[in-house]
Amino acid sequence: MEEIGFLGLGIMGKAMSMNLLRHGFKLTVWNRTLSRCDELVEHGATIGESPAAVIKKCKYTIAMLSDPAAALSVVFDKDGVLEQIGAGKGYIDMSTVDAETSSKISEAIALKGGSFLEAPVSGSKKPAEDGQLVILAAGERALYDAIIPAFDIMGKKSFFLGQVGNGARMKLVVNMIMGSMMNAFSEGLVLADKSGLDPQTLLDVLDLGAIANPMFKMKGPSMTKSSYPPAFPLKHQQKDMRLALALGDENAVPMPVAAAANEAFKKARSMGLGDLDFSAVHETVASSKGST
Amino acid sequence: MAKILMLKPSCSSNHYLTTASILSPQNAAVSLTKATMAMCSSFCPRINIQFRAKPTSRFSIKPQFSVQFKAFSSQDSNPPPKDEVPTRIGFLGLGIMGSPMAQNLIKAGCDVTVWNRTKSKCDPLVSLGAKYKSSPEEVAASCDVTFAMLADPESAAEVAYGKHGAASGMSPGKGYVDVSTVDGPTSKLISTRIKSSGALFLEAPVSGSKKPAEDGQLIFLTAGDKSLYETAAPFLDIMGKSRFYLGDVGNGAAMKLVVNMIMGSMMASFSEGLLLSEKVGLDPKVLVEVITQGAINAPMYSMKGPSMVQSLYPTAFPLKHQQKDLRLALGLAESVCQPTPIAAAANELYKVAKSRGLSDDDFSAVIEALKGKLDKLS
Repeated sequence: MEEIGFLGLGIMGKAMSMNLLRHGFKLTVWNRTLSRCDELVEHGATIGESPAAVIKKCKYTIAMLSDPAAALSVVFDKDGVLEQIGAGKGYIDMSTVDAETSSKISEAIALKGGSFLEAPVSGSKKPAEDGQLVILAAGERALYDAIIPAFDIMGKKSFFLGQVGNGARMKLVVNMIMGSMMNAFSEGLVLADKSGLDPQTLLDVLDLGAIANPMFKMKGPSMTKSSYPPAFPLKHQQKDMRLALALGDENAVPMPVAAAANEAFKKARSMGLGDLDFSAVHETVASSKGST
Repeated sequence: MAKILMLKPSCSSNHYLTTASILSPQNAAVSLTKATMAMCSSFCPRINIQFRAKPTSRFSIKPQFSVQFKAFSSQDSNPPPKDEVPTRIGFLGLGIMGSPMAQNLIKAGCDVTVWNRTKSKCDPLVSLGAKYKSSPEEVAASCDVTFAMLADPESAAEVAYGKHGAASGMSPGKGYVDVSTVDGPTSKLISTRIKSSGALFLEAPVSGSKKPAEDGQLIFLTAGDKSLYETAAPFLDIMGKSRFYLGDVGNGAAMKLVVNMIMGSMMASFSEGLLLSEKVGLDPKVLVEVITQGAINAPMYSMKGPSMVQSLYPTAFPLKHQQKDLRLALGLAESVCQPTPIAAAANELYKVAKSRGLSDDDFSAVIEALKGKLDKLS
């Protein structure tokens, strides 16, 4: 495959691009903070000085930014993607954004003659490192087919979900459930502890039954020790809850549990836990003192 | 109180090898010969210890067996008849859970006596070989260990110490194992009433619904008298895949409520996701598939998702019981001064579902609570 561009080398972007490099892909990378490119350069990547420079050089460019604002900036700002995108070039945005942001980007790219694919992922740092992401793509089918070799390296399964917006929406729904589950799990861990039970025993019991899942298994032990090394920053989880609630709002779908979960994440942010792993929402439950 | 449990002659050789490995080879040979001799002289069916292969179990059979067999092998050549009598098991409550649980005990060769408020529910079990008594009191009086599987705290209490309740038939040397899901205070009250007769008590609520009950794959969350736990263990192992002993009465109840609180919240959240995906033009079946691939993949989602998408809710765990468990969990949280906003929000949805007449549907029917009433027509 020809050289691929990669914009955004945060927690996810770095792991994903490293994976591509290790599997023989040639990459030109860009990141707002240039120093994060160093390790990739050591493994054979070239640096582009701007998103536009990367697009100019590469037929296909993947982007992995942290939120709608960054995703828009990379496209619309000076020296952004739009300055160099055109016919024969494809832009694959794997950031998690709302459907409206994705549509905006898609239309702008199309106006310039380029092709666009949204492809947010399910999975955090470790699945990114291990090439085990779940990719939720939507947009131009031809571009999806062309970029599949890269998807197959970065992920364990890819879905093509139709028109632009569907990938974004699917991602938000999944993360909404995940955020609510993390809250339910936190409430359970704290209740077990306050009732005089051993939280580790609760983890053992959960692991045997119908509600066992990898997230509980992965996060549970460190949560019981109040340890929250960031694999998926809490501020991003709360962003996703907020976007999912907005989606529910647009479509008049009642979501009381998600709303309660969002409040808990907001509280966690107000406690300064935004950069910790989203499992740190456990602290909002654990720290609640008894009523006087 | 530990009874000696003996192997059926019809056990496969695997069973003998497994038990023999607990003993020294010499004792094993001696014990098995005695076992065979003893069996020939008795007309009672022996309890078949099920050392089934349990692929998903993380917990090996506990050493209680070695305790019993050691005692056995230390007998002289004529074991006292008392230790040969198989444990007489009582079973009160033959609903969705109780019926398959009791059936598993009968099929394993146990001596089982049943009672149910609606007598007709006993018929299938009687035809499998169970005995019948017309009150919990009589069942308890005629059995060594009596299990109870009732739907809620009220019926559990009534059966335990109401009129002609089990407590009236209990006495020293007997045990009562309540596998109902109740709140801590109810469990403690049942414990007090049972123990006032001199009998032992074990609370043992289960994790797992209809299918795990049928398949003998339940998880027992026990607390109470340790010696009764050890006596009951072989029977728990017939009905279940693993068991926990959690200490004082109340701990088993609490653990069960915590687990079901998490489960109820998860189902409510899953429902929100399914409905949202459908309303924004996604295929909910694809959502289920995506979830199955990721970090939040729980068996419950892939089991219930497909039928929920079709608005079907075949009852494995009645919605009214899930709501009862959430209510009790909220009570537990309140008693320890812990806010639980997610569980509270989920509980409201189950209440709405109940008000729509979905109490006896599977708890996955909670998704209907999110739909406007007119949605049912679309």
